[in-house]
Amino acid sequence: MELFLLSIVNGLIQGGFFALFAVGLVLIFGVMGVVNFAHGELVMVGAFTIWLLHAQYGLSYIPAIMVAIVLVTVIGLLMERFLFRPTRADPLAGLICSIGVLFILQVVATLIGGDGPSKQVPPPYQGTLVLFEFLRIPYQRVFSLIISVSALGSLWFFLTRSKFGWALRAVAQDREAAALQGINTNRISIIAIGVGAALAGLAGGLVAPLTNINPHMGHNVIITAFIVTIVGGVGSLSGAVLAAVLYAMFHTFMTVYFGGTVATICGLILMVVVLIVKPTGLMGVRISE
Amino acid sequence: MGISRRDFVRTTTAAGALVVSSGLPSRVFAAGQKTVKVGMNIPMTGDYAPWGLPGLYGCQIIADDINAAGGVNIGDDNYAIEIVSYDHAYDLEKAVQGYKKMVSEDDVKMVMMLGGSTVGAIAKWAERKKMLTTTLLCSDITPDTPNLIATCESHPLYNVTGVEWLAKHHPEVKTAAIVTNNDAEYGLQSTATYQAAFEVAGIEVVDVNLHGFDVTDFAPIVSSVLAKKPDVFCMATSFYVTPLMEQLYHQGFKGKIISCTLDYYDEIIAKTSKEFVEGTIFQFPDFDDPKLNESGINFPNPGDFDAKFRKSHPNDWSAVAWEYPAILLNWIEGAKQAGTVEPQAVSATLRSNKNPAFIFGGGKWWGKDLWGQDNVVVGRWPVVVVKDGKARIQEYGSVSGWLDKHAGVLTKYMKSHGLRTV
Repeated sequence: MELFLLSIVNGLIQGGFFALFAVGLVLIFGVMGVVNFAHGELVMVGAFTIWLLHAQYGLSYIPAIMVAIVLVTVIGLLMERFLFRPTRADPLAGLICSIGVLFILQVVATLIGGDGPSKQVPPPYQGTLVLFEFLRIPYQRVFSLIISVSALGSLWFFLTRSKFGWALRAVAQDREAAALQGINTNRISIIAIGVGAALAGLAGGLVAPLTNINPHMGHNVIITAFIVTIVGGVGSLSGAVLAAVLYAMFHTFMTVYFGGTVATICGLILMVVVLIVKPTGLMGVRISE
Repeated sequence: MGISRRDFVRTTTAAGALVVSSGLPSRVFAAGQKTVKVGMNIPMTGDYAPWGLPGLYGCQIIADDINAAGGVNIGDDNYAIEIVSYDHAYDLEKAVQGYKKMVSEDDVKMVMMLGGSTVGAIAKWAERKKMLTTTLLCSDITPDTPNLIATCESHPLYNVTGVEWLAKHHPEVKTAAIVTNNDAEYGLQSTATYQAAFEVAGIEVVDVNLHGFDVTDFAPIVSSVLAKKPDVFCMATSFYVTPLMEQLYHQGFKGKIISCTLDYYDEIIAKTSKEFVEGTIFQFPDFDDPKLNESGINFPNPGDFDAKFRKSHPNDWSAVAWEYPAILLNWIEGAKQAGTVEPQAVSATLRSNKNPAFIFGGGKWWGKDLWGQDNVVVGRWPVVVVKDGKARIQEYGSVSGWLDKHAGVLTKYMKSHGLRTV
């Protein structure tokens, strides 16, 4: 029972991370029709920024996260303006461009951070929250969970209560129809990639003190993001959040009771099963030709 | 404020050297001196970079020292040492490209490699060329690779010494759990060795938790392992030591910790606490350790080497920082004895030595029983424990002594994981 409760807490924390970067990926795909392969590298840039500014130059953690968010957002906006917009007519071109960005960001991170060992960021929030002797949660993970939930809540509020949010959802549903209604789709694309990239930057900032930071850390992120996106339903934001939490729970419990290797294999099998049995995912919508 | 004579001499000498050297090539060799090239086909970028790049830095320090002292006399010639490096980023295709370039174009006389699948990728071609090649993973050796040798690190055989020491000094520990990545090259080899060592030491292994390289959160893994209530938490490879230690700390683990390596342990202390890391057992010393000045250590001025390395590369010291240099020094001695730099002659000379000069002493050739060739040098190996925030050698265990008695147990566990044995 103790292990069960601990696993639920660990699953929730992990789910928060997964949701942050998966939602960004879904947002970009939904609005722009681009599968952004460099999304994992945007998370990596966020984490690297924390390492550089906070661990190396002593900038406080919160301002460092702010810088990470701004920096990754700018990278996302540049990608939109110079790569995705010119190649909008050809989704494959956008995908290939994003793969190019992936390698460029890895090389830039290597040039800045140097070769060699993974980077480490001492947790800004030291200590452990002891709820029970068996239920001990590092303050850093508590902080990450709170920020993740807050960011996702803010995004939900933005999408459902703001004019831009409505327009963004309209473009995600049908770009041409939205344009005919007078919605500036270019501006909405900018907002979508800006928000998606900002969430990736935030995810990188939150995960930085909890993991090994290296230029290739985006690989694992993008694989997880794809699984979550497919399970949740490609293009569905609420599906992505739900799938992130469910997948995190699934992965955590599989790891605890069957081992990490089995958990990884089962995660990929889950994705394949969803693709075969319910291609629209948990909350995706079938679109007729 | 005055300036001392020593400061004046030091400053003017440095300035003079700078002025003179600015008009010369970066490396100046004495007239008549030959150059022998030694290759390092290693990962310098990517996940495996910590096991390659620090070794290059270390070898460059050794080569610079030798060259500054006038080079090395081999046979009738005097040689400067030149290190030729190639970054294969642990990519098999690049490893083959780099190896062929070094042998065919650069004319290197020995190639140092990390080991694993990259060595497997070059092995056949290397044997056709009869090129002397070294690895840090003795499990790379096969009956078909007579020119592949492991003269320094014998990963993961040395881990037995840490477990032996643990059992001797902490007889209260009865159970252990092993956590590692599930690859056959590093993780499973090390797991089998630890399982054998624990069995010999009378410590029951209550959990072997294998995971992939895609883990982003170690909390569930550590929770799962700690639920088995082991007295000892064992990390069989070094890839994820820091996040594992962090989770152990936060989840309140109070038992003993043993690890193959504890690279960058100061960062682990920063992420946990000095008290938590205290007493952690591992296998790779810092080179400012006083015990390395004792007789029987085959490495010149370890303290100076440590200081030079940390001055030039303050954040890059890892287990391999001294291992590739030790291999280089070993090769130089072999070449001196052979009187030539030609790979076959040096290889034959090294292997004909019944008591090879192993870095920590007590070396002997071993490996035929397990891998089909006595091409691994095993000897004494240090057991290192964190004391007052600093890694310190406690004693030297005997890998060869353990293997003489218990090789059968090791073979049993290697086979149980499906690992190659003869």
